[in-house]
Amino acid sequence: MTEAVLELRNLTKRIGTRKIVDNLTFDIPAGEVFGFLGPNGAGKTTTIRMIVGLISMTKGEARIKGVSVKEQFELAMTHVGAIVENPEMYKFLTGYQNLVHFARRHSGVTKQRIDEVVNMLGLQNRIHEKVKRYSLGMRQRLGVAQAILHRPSLLILDEPTNGLDPAGIRELRDYLRKLTREEGISVIVSSHLLSEMELMCDRVAIIQAGKLVDIRSMQDAREQSQSKIVLEAGDPVAAQHLLAQLFDAAQLAVDGTRIEIAADKSAIPNIARVLVAADIEVLGIHAVQKTLEEQFLEITGGEMVV
Amino acid sequence: MSSLSQLIRNENMKIYRRPRTWLMILFLIGTVALMSGLMKWDESKHDAGDWRAAVTERNAELSHVVQNNAELGEQSRSDLQNQIKLNEYYLSQNIDPDRLSVWSYVNSSASLIILVTLLTVVVAADMIAGEFTWGTIKLLLVGPASRTKLMLAKYVSTMAFALLLLVLCFAAALVAGGVLAGFDGLSLPDISIDASGMIHEGNMLFHALEKYGYSVVMLVMYVTMAFMISAAFRSSSMAIAFSLLCMLVGNTLSALLSGYDWVKYLIFPNIDLTQYMDGATPLRPEMTLGFSVSMLIAYYIAFQLIAWFLFTKRDVAG
Repeated sequence: MTEAVLELRNLTKRIGTRKIVDNLTFDIPAGEVFGFLGPNGAGKTTTIRMIVGLISMTKGEARIKGVSVKEQFELAMTHVGAIVENPEMYKFLTGYQNLVHFARRHSGVTKQRIDEVVNMLGLQNRIHEKVKRYSLGMRQRLGVAQAILHRPSLLILDEPTNGLDPAGIRELRDYLRKLTREEGISVIVSSHLLSEMELMCDRVAIIQAGKLVDIRSMQDAREQSQSKIVLEAGDPVAAQHLLAQLFDAAQLAVDGTRIEIAADKSAIPNIARVLVAADIEVLGIHAVQKTLEEQFLEITGGEMVV
Repeated sequence: MSSLSQLIRNENMKIYRRPRTWLMILFLIGTVALMSGLMKWDESKHDAGDWRAAVTERNAELSHVVQNNAELGEQSRSDLQNQIKLNEYYLSQNIDPDRLSVWSYVNSSASLIILVTLLTVVVAADMIAGEFTWGTIKLLLVGPASRTKLMLAKYVSTMAFALLLLVLCFAAALVAGGVLAGFDGLSLPDISIDASGMIHEGNMLFHALEKYGYSVVMLVMYVTMAFMISAAFRSSSMAIAFSLLCMLVGNTLSALLSGYDWVKYLIFPNIDLTQYMDGATPLRPEMTLGFSVSMLIAYYIAFQLIAWFLFTKRDVAG
């Protein structure tokens, strides 16, 4: 494992007697897109806001590139770019003035760098217009721009897709991919949209009731996910009878005219051959991969709210 | 890490790039112009022709009163005698006391500092609460600037805005006065008479700045209070409304409560230091200049501490 960009140690937030975030400890290595998953109210947003100093920590600590957020806030924040929910900008300023505003907080963001980021996000045509005339998608792009101006090592996105339409979400995802590739930064993203996380992240942490349930790599999750075959036949009873000779009874499940077979798609030609030979009409046959959502529903005990 | 000067530039950008700020500035300059115009118009109605004759006549009346009223108190007698001396001095120096000079306009503009205060209070109340209203507070706080530094930058910019309005108010009155009464009046001295009957010629600029100075104490206090309220509320309209309410209700409230001796511990009876200038009486007889100044310092520190605590210690959620 390479050097950790973010280290969380026993991070805890207590409000009254309730523990919103309970003893989170994990590392995020450099160059990774890391997702926070969990039902609403699981503590994802609270965790992220503790990392960026918006919310105080009750206990524990967060270190960004080895710098404690609690003890050396300013230094730690020089390594961070953040988009917290929908980035609201100063509407009475132009897009460019907004970027100048955020650039001034960091030492060493040149005019050339601002222009570079503006071009990278395709904002150059309207950057001198007032932000109040921007669409939500453009504001989102401006939000990404302010977050990467100072070339952070860690980009933190809290529910970045809230309020975006599918095209906007896709656009954001493309930018993020471009950023991790071109600027080599690590990304932490929290979202309740599982399908999005599936496409964006290398690893995800699953948080439930403030506790870390599991961290898993999306690569593994995809490989380990069992696939199944869904078959629709004209005569499901006869078909099931035939299939019982090919598979264990445990692998078969009948739901009306649909038969689900827990098997890899490589079994499809064989199934088709057997059914056609027995003169059973095949109305449809296809392989289905278990979605991330189904996997996480299992892990979190069916409590996933999406 | 952010440098304070860059943060102040940011805050200034957010003040002066808003059209509202320029409307305020125009409004202030317009009010100074209007007031100066009214003063000139009022003077022209009372044009008495020969001012030397008028002042001589007035002095004759005054000496008549002094000589024939035996029951006149010691204080009133000396006041009247001083007035006569002053008038004689005007006659000898050939200065028309009733004619408005450029300095009359400047001195009157000191009464418009209440408007400067009002406008700055609106800006101050918006300073922190506005970031919450716009939703920009999160992006502002997630940066390499500590909250203390951000707050200091905001306070400095607010005070700089107040200073700008003061300078504009002074300059506008000076220009208006110069246009209406002629700039040659700039060299006129500030003529006053002390209790022992000695006539002093002072510097008019100094006199005007002194008048401004007392009002600035009030301005600083109200603006700092508005700034604290801004840190307490998360909606700028609430913060502006509450700050203006405190400012407008304060004097009425302290007048209503003047019968109780604890009223002197409120900020409002202490905020106007001109009550200790000669001829004025403070709200409570036991109040002294030293007392009011210490009260104001205590309130100032309290406002700053509360604002700092509210801004730096609270979680920003939701």
